[in-house]
Amino acid sequence: MQLRHVFSELRTGLRRNLSMHLAVIVTLFVSLTLAGVGILVQREATKTVDELGNELQIRINLCTEDDPSLRRGLENCASGEITDAQRDRVEEELEASPEVESFEFETKQESFERAYEQNKRKDRGYLFEGEGAVVTVEKWPAAYWVTLKTPDEADGIISAVEGLDGVASIIDQREVMNQIFGIMTVLKYGSWIGSGVLLLAALLQVANTIRLAALARRREIGIMRLVGASTLYIALPFLLEALVTAVIGVGLAAGALAAFQWWGVEQGMAERVTFLPWVDWNDYAQALIGTFPPGIVILGPALTLIPTLLLTRKYVKV
Amino acid sequence: MIRFEKVTKRYPGPGRPALDQVTLDIDKGEFVYLVGQSGSGKSTALRLVLRELRPTTGRVFVAGKEINRMAGWKVPRLRRQIGTVFQDFRLLPNKTVAENVAFAQQVIGKSHKEISKAVPATLELVGLKDKADRMPDELSGGEQQRVAVARAYVNQPMILIADEPTGNLDPATSVGIMNLLGDINAAGTTVVMATHDHGIVDQFTKRVIELEHGKVVRDEAAGGYGFQHEEG
Repeated sequence: MQLRHVFSELRTGLRRNLSMHLAVIVTLFVSLTLAGVGILVQREATKTVDELGNELQIRINLCTEDDPSLRRGLENCASGEITDAQRDRVEEELEASPEVESFEFETKQESFERAYEQNKRKDRGYLFEGEGAVVTVEKWPAAYWVTLKTPDEADGIISAVEGLDGVASIIDQREVMNQIFGIMTVLKYGSWIGSGVLLLAALLQVANTIRLAALARRREIGIMRLVGASTLYIALPFLLEALVTAVIGVGLAAGALAAFQWWGVEQGMAERVTFLPWVDWNDYAQALIGTFPPGIVILGPALTLIPTLLLTRKYVKV
Repeated sequence: MIRFEKVTKRYPGPGRPALDQVTLDIDKGEFVYLVGQSGSGKSTALRLVLRELRPTTGRVFVAGKEINRMAGWKVPRLRRQIGTVFQDFRLLPNKTVAENVAFAQQVIGKSHKEISKAVPATLELVGLKDKADRMPDELSGGEQQRVAVARAYVNQPMILIADEPTGNLDPATSVGIMNLLGDINAAGTTVVMATHDHGIVDQFTKRVIELEHGKVVRDEAAGGYGFQHEEG
């Protein structure tokens, strides 16, 4: 096959339809970037669940003498410091619950030290220190740390325990995480829907481009068919044009995603929000060349080449 | 070389078929005129040979192969054995004479070496050797048709199909084109020429097949244009 001829056809084809090709490239660029962001967000969510999902615990604070919950009008702590009988009752519920994977008792001392360490990191250690300390071991509650079987099923155990005597409060760590997951879900579907709409626009533009190109070349195509050029040979300049636009669109999107990964994640979010694991360059590579969901290196060419093949068969019918 | 067996071609919609139970046989090396009024089925017959169309019923054979049953991917190979010339020349306006002829070879994957040999030889045959670098719009109608013939012939087809090749040319120029087609036929290529041109058919007597309303009404080994249908 005469490649020189094919490439000269390709060159004229790209020049002739320059504005259409640019439109396809820009649309592909934006839609593929959005698709890539969607993939990254999805991987971020998976990563977060994998790494923090098991730590999504519920903390049951137990009553202390003169518990603050009394001042909020709760009667659970009316009898003062939790008694052994009350603790047995709580443990009974925890053992009976199908939602609970395991639980652990934390003494007042252990609990106090943990809180002290956390507050020291936030420069609030003085509250726990010295003669005039605001927070003391006596005032600090003992607690149960409850690990759930599935992080999103805890309503049963919470309602079973919260009314018991000796239970001051329940702190559900999942509430914070659920907000983060909520944001991620919105981001993920948002970027996928946006990308889907734009990919549809890109498809239609590819179709328009081919129709125009086939029209502009109909004389050549007519002669090619008559002298017996193969369908592939006739379609080749169209396919190459589609491939060139796809490669440029993918390249731009890959660059935009790399910028997002570097400035948005590595230099941005990962520096500020340290308690979450963040997507890394390996995830970036998956957003490019992954198979499910398909990465943009697969998506881009597929979305231009497949309609081109179908449409050239239609317009360039032998 | 070309055989129609009870070929009927109906286009969608009402009305009589474009070709109605046509049976004919054209041998290798023959020169055949296909005559008849507009709408008599001449173009349909030619397009069936090229497999641009398929018959509604009946069978079309070209070079021993039943082409209406041929797989789509084999059609280009069939067409490489058939050269085609049209009334309106159909040259590429942005290519020179030589490039127009070379185009027919490039697109079927002939090598640069083959092309650089075949194109000048074919241009010499049609008498345009010294105009190889001209653009089509710098040529007269007759010269443009010679370029079209060169393009149709450059791949050495077994069959040359000419659809009204002299339709846009004055009588003197037409004679030149007919002589050229005669030479090509003499070199062994089967020529099928659809025409309205009385003068040509009467002057260059060959086999004449006349179609009327999609039926063969006359098939003479060396006929004239005919008597009943002398219209402009």
